[in-house]
Amino acid sequence: MTAGSERRRQLRPGLWETVNERYPGAMISKTDTVPLARLDKPLADARLTFISSAGVQPKGTLPFDVVHPVGDYTFRRVPSDASPSDLEIHQLKYPTDGANRDLNVIFPIERLQALAADGLVGGLTSSFFSFIGYNMDVKRLEATLAEDIADAVVADHAEIALLAPA
Amino acid sequence: MQRAVEQRGIATVSISVARDVTEHCKPPRAVFVPFRMGHHFGVPFHAELQRRIIVEALGRIEEVEVSGDIYDLPITWAQARTEGRLIEQTMGLRPA
Amino acid sequence: MSLDYLNDAVARGDNEALIRYVRLHVGDGDDQQGRTEIDKAWVQALKVLLDVPPTDRQFIVDTLANKDQATLAHLFFSLHFHLVNASGEWIHDGRL
Repeated sequence: MTAGSERRRQLRPGLWETVNERYPGAMISKTDTVPLARLDKPLADARLTFISSAGVQPKGTLPFDVVHPVGDYTFRRVPSDASPSDLEIHQLKYPTDGANRDLNVIFPIERLQALAADGLVGGLTSSFFSFIGYNMDVKRLEATLAEDIADAVVADHAEIALLAPA
Repeated sequence: MQRAVEQRGIATVSISVARDVTEHCKPPRAVFVPFRMGHHFGVPFHAELQRRIIVEALGRIEEVEVSGDIYDLPITWAQARTEGRLIEQTMGLRPA
Repeated sequence: MSLDYLNDAVARGDNEALIRYVRLHVGDGDDQQGRTEIDKAWVQALKVLLDVPPTDRQFIVDTLANKDQATLAHLFFSLHFHLVNASGEWIHDGRL
């Protein structure tokens, strides 16, 4: 095995097949791609947002609904100047042991703040965006949550977006 | 999700720990890291690695010419964990 | 399971498919574990009542009489996770 193929091996191979066997039809599969949006300025001038499905939310906001059998199609705004101690995770469906020790492993808010302070990006949107990635109604997810977040990202004047689908 | 944002004219890039899922979803730009689920940016307290993953991902926004690109970050989970353990030892969070 | 799959199962009366889904949901993706989890919730509910402690029966009567079925079903799922957590044998500990 070459170093390259070693690198490309995911820790849990066949994840799409495994999940799709357990939850038939719940996994998204596209046959087409979407056209690339072009950034017409340097990264150092571009306002960055971050979108996460890790269930991170400000303490004191209504917890994500981790018990509902069909999922939660709402999102939370997370102030981009928040500290990890202001935030908590409400999601059961992925390993949070690393994030519980250092939130930045799944929601790298301190690293993003540092990148903006160092001028590698032109700034951060006032909010980041967070939801939970356990949603059985794929059509509802695409028609509501994805569109709602996309609208909110535009309203926050994002020019580039980093996403972490947990 | 990523496709909806890209279609608003905002250039996007995602971090993936499941290359096969990403191949199915076909986001415009992705960076694959062979890490555990829930550990997309590496291991606790390894700020340098967390930052590197973000910087490399954002770099894809300037590099990628064809939608559906998946870049394999040259790193292994074993390497990340080893480095993380050393950092925690230095910080006194873990016995040497 | 996609909602379409679940709706099809309802339409053809396939309760096995539906209960498998519930077990997967409460068992973190493991349907055998899900059986254990459902038993655990019932055992916990029984244990709490063995000493016949005072309970707010009026609240229960009013809630069942006045709340819609969707809210009650949602409460049922919430109580499952609540009781399992209270049992002290919480499998949803983030380690998966």
